[in-house]
Amino acid sequence: MPTPLTHDDPHTFGSYRPIVRLGSGGMGTVYLARSAGGRTVAVKTMLAGIASDPSARTRFRLEADAARVIGGRHGALVVDADTQAETPWIATEYVLGPPLDEAVGVVGSLPEATVRALGAALCGALGQLHSTDVVHRDLKPSNILVTAYGPKVIDFGIARAIGDDRLTRVGAAVGTPAFMSPEQASGEEHTSAGDVFALAGVLVYAATGRGPFGHGQTADLLYRVRYGEPDLSDVPAALVPLLGRCLDKNPFRRPTTSELAAQLHDGSGEFADHLSDPLLAEIGRRATEVWLITPQRLDAPITQHAESPTAPTATMPRRRLLLAGSGLALGAAAVGAGAWAWSRRSGSEPHLPVTSPSNSVLPRKKLDSLWQIQVADSPYGTVPAVEPLAVGNLVTLVAGAGLGGIDARTGDVLWASDQMEIHWQIATDGERLVRMVAAEGSENNAGKPGGFPLILASVNLVSGKAAEPFAQFTDFNGVMDYNQVLCTADGVVYAAAGQGKYDTYFLTSQSWSLFAVDISTGKRLWTKPLPTRPDKSDRLYFLTARVVGSNLVALQETNDGKVRVVVRDIRTGAVRWEKPFDGVAPDRVQRPLATDSDTLYLGSGRLRALRLSDGTQVWDSRTERPGRTYGPPTVIGGVVYAVEKGLGLVAFASGSGRAQWEEKGGGGTKADTSAAPVIGTDCAYSKRSSALWAIDLASRTPTASYKTTGDRFIAHEKAKVTIALGGKFLAAFPLK
Amino acid sequence: MHATGAGPGAAQAGATASRRIGPYVLITALDDPYSRIPVPERRYIARSDDGEHTVLLSVPHRGTDPQRFMAEADTSRYLLGPFVASAVTCAGPGEAAWAARPYLPGLPLPTALAVHGGPLPERTVHALGAALAESLGVMHGQGLTYAGLSPAAVLLAADGPRLTCFGAVRAAAPDGTPRSGLPGLEPGSLPPEQAAGGHPRPLGDVYALGSTLAYAATGHTTPEGDELPPALRTVISRCLSRDPATRPQLSELQGVFAAGLNQESASAEFTTTTTALLGPGWLPSRVIAAIAHQSATVLAAEIPPPTVSTSRQD
Repeated sequence: MPTPLTHDDPHTFGSYRPIVRLGSGGMGTVYLARSAGGRTVAVKTMLAGIASDPSARTRFRLEADAARVIGGRHGALVVDADTQAETPWIATEYVLGPPLDEAVGVVGSLPEATVRALGAALCGALGQLHSTDVVHRDLKPSNILVTAYGPKVIDFGIARAIGDDRLTRVGAAVGTPAFMSPEQASGEEHTSAGDVFALAGVLVYAATGRGPFGHGQTADLLYRVRYGEPDLSDVPAALVPLLGRCLDKNPFRRPTTSELAAQLHDGSGEFADHLSDPLLAEIGRRATEVWLITPQRLDAPITQHAESPTAPTATMPRRRLLLAGSGLALGAAAVGAGAWAWSRRSGSEPHLPVTSPSNSVLPRKKLDSLWQIQVADSPYGTVPAVEPLAVGNLVTLVAGAGLGGIDARTGDVLWASDQMEIHWQIATDGERLVRMVAAEGSENNAGKPGGFPLILASVNLVSGKAAEPFAQFTDFNGVMDYNQVLCTADGVVYAAAGQGKYDTYFLTSQSWSLFAVDISTGKRLWTKPLPTRPDKSDRLYFLTARVVGSNLVALQETNDGKVRVVVRDIRTGAVRWEKPFDGVAPDRVQRPLATDSDTLYLGSGRLRALRLSDGTQVWDSRTERPGRTYGPPTVIGGVVYAVEKGLGLVAFASGSGRAQWEEKGGGGTKADTSAAPVIGTDCAYSKRSSALWAIDLASRTPTASYKTTGDRFIAHEKAKVTIALGGKFLAAFPLK
Repeated sequence: MHATGAGPGAAQAGATASRRIGPYVLITALDDPYSRIPVPERRYIARSDDGEHTVLLSVPHRGTDPQRFMAEADTSRYLLGPFVASAVTCAGPGEAAWAARPYLPGLPLPTALAVHGGPLPERTVHALGAALAESLGVMHGQGLTYAGLSPAAVLLAADGPRLTCFGAVRAAAPDGTPRSGLPGLEPGSLPPEQAAGGHPRPLGDVYALGSTLAYAATGHTTPEGDELPPALRTVISRCLSRDPATRPQLSELQGVFAAGLNQESASAEFTTTTTALLGPGWLPSRVIAAIAHQSATVLAAEIPPPTVSTSRQD
C-alpha cells in the first residue's frame, strides 16, 4: 500500500517527481514517480548515508547496469538512472505484479501448472543472464515479480551484499541463506549452477510456501544448505526428482537452465493461462489500483474545511486508522496484510471508488496550528477511534495499519512503522511505550489451528521498532483481533487476550482473560477470566483503563452493549467493585479517564465523582445543577473541569462538587461537549464549532481561538502543546 | 502481444502531431477500428498537459449532434453505482464536445472477446449480467433509463464492468425519429420500440442487456436460441422479446445470474452476490493479461511537452 511522501523526500529524480512512497527498507526507499509527460515509474533510491560509502555507490551503479543487462522482458525495464546524485536513484517501469513471496502469502502455495510455467520462464531469464556472463546470486521469492506475461527478476545480489549486517557477518557469503547455494554458503564461487540451485528453492517455495531448507537462524540455515537434505515433502510428486537434481550439493550434477526449462514445461499456451485465478485477480487488482493513487506529501497542510465537520458516531468495533507515513516493506503493496486489516470493509461499498482524477495537491493555507501533518484518509473509510499518546517527547498515534512517532514540538514524523501488523495495541506510562507484536509467520495466517503466541514488547522510541519481546504467552492466541493492551504503570502491563480458534468475530468457544504482566520478568502476575462474548460479537471488552494507586480502573463493555465501571486490585486482579455507567454509548467513552488519587470522575451526561476504594458516589452534579449535561471531565489540582452544554467551561471543587466558576463572556454556548477540556497552567482549551478556544483560567474569559476541525485533544505537557486529532490530520496548538 | 486497444503501436500512430481534444492530449484510441461492433462515440485514453490526469475521453462521431451528446454526458454525471463510468468533466459551453472520466484499465467487451479468442465463459457472463442488472436497477431507481447499453458500451475492468455511452440512443436522434441504422448504434442492442423512434423506457434497457449478454456468450447480439448456454437461454430470449411487457424484471434477472454462484462464496461475510460473482476467476486469464498490459502501456506512455502552437483537433 502506498504511503505519503515525507516532508524531506526529494522533489525530483531527474525528470521524475515522486508521488508516493511504495516502500522503504534499510538500503533506501522506493517511490512511485511521474514525468512531466505523465509516465509513471518506480524509483529506487539509496539512502544518502549509505551512498556516502564509495563502494556502496559503486555497487548501486553495478546493480543499475545489471538491471539494464537483463532488460524489460525478464526484468524491470530501466528508464533512467543517476548513480552519481547525492541520493543515487534508478527509475524502472512500474511492474504490475506481486513479488512471489507476497503472491504466495496472498493466494497460498501455487498449483503445479503455475510452478512449472514460472520455473520455465525463470529459466529463460537466467539463461539470458548467464549468456552474458552475469550470475544473479540472490534469486529468491521477494526478488521475483509475477506479471501476467511472465516473471521479472529484480534486485541483483551485488547491491544486496552491502548494508545488510546479517549477511556480512557470515563472512564472504552473499545472498539470502534460505535460497543460497551450498557453494555460496561455503564462501566458494557461485556460478550459474548456483542460480539453478536457488531457482529450485524458489520453486519449492512457490509450491509449498516454504523453502527447501526451512527458515531460522542464519547459521543453522547455512548448515542445512551445505549438509542437509532438502525438504520436498509437499512438492507435487512429478516435480520431486527434477527439483531434487537441481538441489544437488554438487553443482556439476545439476541440470542447466535449458534442460530444466524443457523438463518443466512444453511452452504451450500463454503464461497467463497457467496462472491460478487468485493470482490473476491479484495481478488485475494491482493493474487497476495504481491508477487510484494520488500524490501525497506529509507536510502539506490540508485545508480545514476539507475535513468532515462531524465526529464519527457510527459504532466502530475496532480502531483502525491508516496512518500516513506508515510505510511497508520494500516494494510491498501489502495485499496480504491489507486483506486482513480491511477485511471488515463492507461488501456493498464500491470496491474501487471511482473518484475524480483529483491528483491535485491541496492548496496551502495559513493555519492556526503550530504544526499539522496529514494522517489517515484511508481509502477504505476507516475511522479513528484512538487517542494520540504523549510518550516522552513524542506523540504516538496507533492505527490498524501502523504506528507513528511524531516529535511533539516540531511535528516531524521521526519514524513510522513499516509493517502492516495484526495489532497496533499500545499503551504508555508517559515514558515507556509497550505494544503487542505479531508472531513471526502470523500475518495472512490467522486461522492456524494452534494459534500463535501472544507477544509483548517495548517500543524503541528512537527507531519505532519493537525491542526484543519481554513476554511471550503460548496459551493465548496472539492473532485474535480483539486482544487488547489496556494500560501500563509501574513496570506492569495490563492486557486482555483470548484463547481458542481465531475468527473475525468473537466465538463462544473462545475464552478470554484479563491479565497483568511484569515487564522486568515477563511473568504473568495474575490472570482473571472475562465473560464469554456471544458468537459474532465484535465489541471490545475494554473501552479505557488506567492505574490509580493500587486500582486498575476500567470502563468495560458488557455483552448487551452497556458500559460498566470496574475497579480491580492491581495485585490480584480481583474486582473491588463495579457499577453501571448508564446512558452513554460505548464509543463515546473510549477516552482517558479522569481520576485523581482517590476519585474517579465521570461525565458524558451528568458529572459524578465515585470513590475509588469502594465505588461510593461522592457527589453528583444533579444535586446542585439539575438538568444540565456535561462532556467528559478533566481533573487537575483539586479542580474538575468540564464543558457544560449551552454554557461552556465550568470548574468544580473536586471534593465537594461545588461549582467554583463558570466561563464568562457567553462564548461557551456553542461549546462541544464531546471532548474533555485540556488544561494548561494558565488556560483551558475547549472545542467550539470549528475552533479550539483558549479560556484564561484567571479571568475565565476566552482569550484566543484556533481554527481546527479536530475532535480529540490531549495535553502534551512536556512539549507544552495541545495535540488535536481530526479525521485526517494531527495538529498541535499552544498549551499555556 | 494481444490487441488491447491500447498497444504502443496505436500510441505512436496517433502521436505524430500530438492530437488534442479539450484540455487533453490523446494517448491512444480505446476501440479497435476494425471491430464490426459499432461504438456510439469515439473513445480515447488521454492525459492532461501536466501529465497528472489520465482520462478516458469520449467525443461524438463526426456528423452527429454534439449538443445531444453533451446533454447525455451531463446527465451521466449523476449516475450512481459502482459499475458506471460516468463523465466527471465535460466540455464547457461553446467548446467542441467532449466528456472525460478518470482512466481505469479496461477492455471494451468486443476487444475482450477478441483477446479471449471467442465467446466468454459462462461464469463471466453470469457475473457481467449480475453487475449490469444491478447497475441498471440503481439507475431505474433514480428515474433514469440508460438507453445506450450495447457490447461496446461495456468496459471490462479487473474488478467488474464499467458502463459507458450513457444515453447513446437518445443522443443518436430525438424521439419520434426512426433510429434503426443510425451510426454508432448496434442494431441488435436497439429495442424495437426505440428503433421505431419511441421514447426510451426502462424495459428497453432490459432488451439491450439481453443482447449484450448474448454477445458476451456467443459473439452475436442476436443469437440463435441454441447458441446460448442452457442456463441463460430462456432468460435472454425473454429479454429480447419484441413486446416490452413480456421482458423480465431486473430483480428476476439478478436472481438468475446469482444462481450459478456456489453457496460458500455467497455466504461469505461482507460480500454481496454481485461482488462474490466478481471474485477471482470472473475474467478469463487472457482478458486479465490484456487489462494488465493496457495498464502497463498507459503507465509507460509519455505525452509530449506542451508546445506554443498546438494543433487543435477538428
